[in-house]
Amino acid sequence: MHRLSRPALLAVTALALAACSVEQPESAPPGDAAAAECGPGRDHLIGMSQANNAEPYREVMNTDVETAAEAVDGFEVNVADAAQDNSKQVADVENFITQQVDLLIISPNEAAPLTAVVAKAFDSGIPVIVLDRKVEGDKYTAFIGADNTEIGRQVGQYYAQTLLPQGGKVLEIAGLPGSTPAAERAAGFREGIASNPAIEIVATQTGEWLRDKGQAVADALLKAHPDANAVYSHNDPMAEGAYLAADAAGRAGDLTFTGIDALPIPSGGIKAVEQGRLKATYVYPTGGREAIDLAKKILVDCTDVPRTTTLETEQVTADNAAQVYTQLGGQS
Amino acid sequence: MTETAKAGGGTGTGGPEGPRRSLLPTDRRSLTQTLFRFQSLFGLVVVFVVAVLASPQRNGELIFLSLSNLGNVVRAVSEIGIIAIGMTFVILVGGIDLSVGAVLGLSAVGTAILMVDSGWGVLPTVVVVLLIGAAFGALQGVATAVIGIQAFIVTLAGLQVARGLARIWSGGVGVPIAYGDGPQQAPPSFEILRGSINGVLPVPAVIFLVLGAVAVIVLRTTAFSRHVYAIGGNEKAARLAGVPVTRVKIAVFTIAGLLTAVAGIIHAGQLSQGSPNDGIGYELNAIAAVVIGGTSLAGGVGTMSGTLAGALLLGILTNILGLNNIDANIQLLITGLVIVAAAGLQKLRRTVT
Repeated sequence: MHRLSRPALLAVTALALAACSVEQPESAPPGDAAAAECGPGRDHLIGMSQANNAEPYREVMNTDVETAAEAVDGFEVNVADAAQDNSKQVADVENFITQQVDLLIISPNEAAPLTAVVAKAFDSGIPVIVLDRKVEGDKYTAFIGADNTEIGRQVGQYYAQTLLPQGGKVLEIAGLPGSTPAAERAAGFREGIASNPAIEIVATQTGEWLRDKGQAVADALLKAHPDANAVYSHNDPMAEGAYLAADAAGRAGDLTFTGIDALPIPSGGIKAVEQGRLKATYVYPTGGREAIDLAKKILVDCTDVPRTTTLETEQVTADNAAQVYTQLGGQS
Repeated sequence: MTETAKAGGGTGTGGPEGPRRSLLPTDRRSLTQTLFRFQSLFGLVVVFVVAVLASPQRNGELIFLSLSNLGNVVRAVSEIGIIAIGMTFVILVGGIDLSVGAVLGLSAVGTAILMVDSGWGVLPTVVVVLLIGAAFGALQGVATAVIGIQAFIVTLAGLQVARGLARIWSGGVGVPIAYGDGPQQAPPSFEILRGSINGVLPVPAVIFLVLGAVAVIVLRTTAFSRHVYAIGGNEKAARLAGVPVTRVKIAVFTIAGLLTAVAGIIHAGQLSQGSPNDGIGYELNAIAAVVIGGTSLAGGVGTMSGTLAGALLLGILTNILGLNNIDANIQLLITGLVIVAAAGLQKLRRTVT
């Protein structure tokens, strides 16, 4: 004879008890969490749902949020790391809804999978600030992000006017195929160099945002294009990888390298510029400080906030690297 | 029976669950055995109690015990749980399936593309995706059982193949699922996967619990399950005893692929997207659930109820750590320690009893 185990019995019982009315997600009970009352002198719990702590850019974003929040009386921030897993991030946001946080800051791993749960938080009365990557629809309070096309355009103009005014051959090391920033940084760059027809992109290869991939790709590209003048990389780590490849081939001095991101950390692009490996990099702001500014307006000052905040980039060269590093809060 | 001997040198001729004894311990040794036998269930109870004690409160109520939170817990663990059911069969025959995370991504992509781009209905989509998952599993079963390549290698390769297929099929980007009757829209009935029964029990959780209950019964009552345990205990002896080893091994890999496809369909429904890069690392979470559930990676020893308990334990652990806002890195540490502790208890069980 075989007995059913208890969990099985429980499961069967639970199923038998459950009537067959399936409620669609839209009909979730409204008013489950009342909107937090705003005003000074209160404690406010902010949930920060981060897509992936393992990316330096996102770690800096967390630090920016936490540092800015420390300066506001009554703000407490809890960071949840989704480790690049959409499902985990949905569960993280659900936890914040269950805890009835006073405000949610989310940097989504991807737009479509997070849209529903962000809308659920918003509908339950929690103000939602979306950082860096958007969600679909309009169920959020504010979006803060930088304009990757504009950044690419500025890099392109720098190439056209300053770096290669006489023209030249450019190797492009691109971000992950299919990712929006990679597409936008590529398109913007082409717009930027359009004013100087003598500049030619002789090859484009993906380094998938990674230093080691950038290095491997540059190894091959440098062999295939011995006459290249510059390497335009979609981010700093790949630019550093390309520099290492050129250095190993004894050609680091013949080429110039530029990146994007300019993170204020010892392994970031600003230090690489300061130490001469990269010619220039462009700040891709995290929006962490701006998010807490908006949170303060919503929770403490009780004022309206702009729907969309577009963050400006800044060029980093040897002239201003040390200054930008400090200004962005980097610890030496 | 081989698995009985392996489970602890018992003298009985019990079924797959090991020597059958009275639930009431009569002496110290059988008390120990009872404790070990229900190790993962006790673990689940312990973690549950700890979660209740550690739960933050709101208006005097424990957040952890709120129905919406408990629903979240089971929903969040349903995909890993369903995969772990299939993984249990594979591990019981002494195999392993590393491809499940990638097959989940492939299934989610297939679900989204067939419904959104090809305009298929829910039923044909589900059937075809389940067939894809089952066929993928069956091929890995053939490579393992017929050709004789180690399951680790076969499914490691399968992981790469499935991930590659998912990326090719989707063009490397997630396929969003929008609902409606128009072109490029999925049938609204598919959205049932995001619903919940009576607003409390999420549909994916129901699917997980039903499949779990069926698997518990299958693994306790069928000839198939006896073959599974026999192969895991001693494959040569099983073959000599007339167990259709090749067929059973192909079957368990097929089951694993099929159940992974179920999880992939749920995944697509939950996230309104089929993303080729989803499911990375899910194989390790599923294996962790199986191991915490007391199943030996050497094969032949283990229970399905243990796996279900293991999956729920992991889900509760993640939930309560999150509710208490424990740092993400500390969460990794704690989860790792729990897995080691569970495996350590298994080792102890074999030494003590």
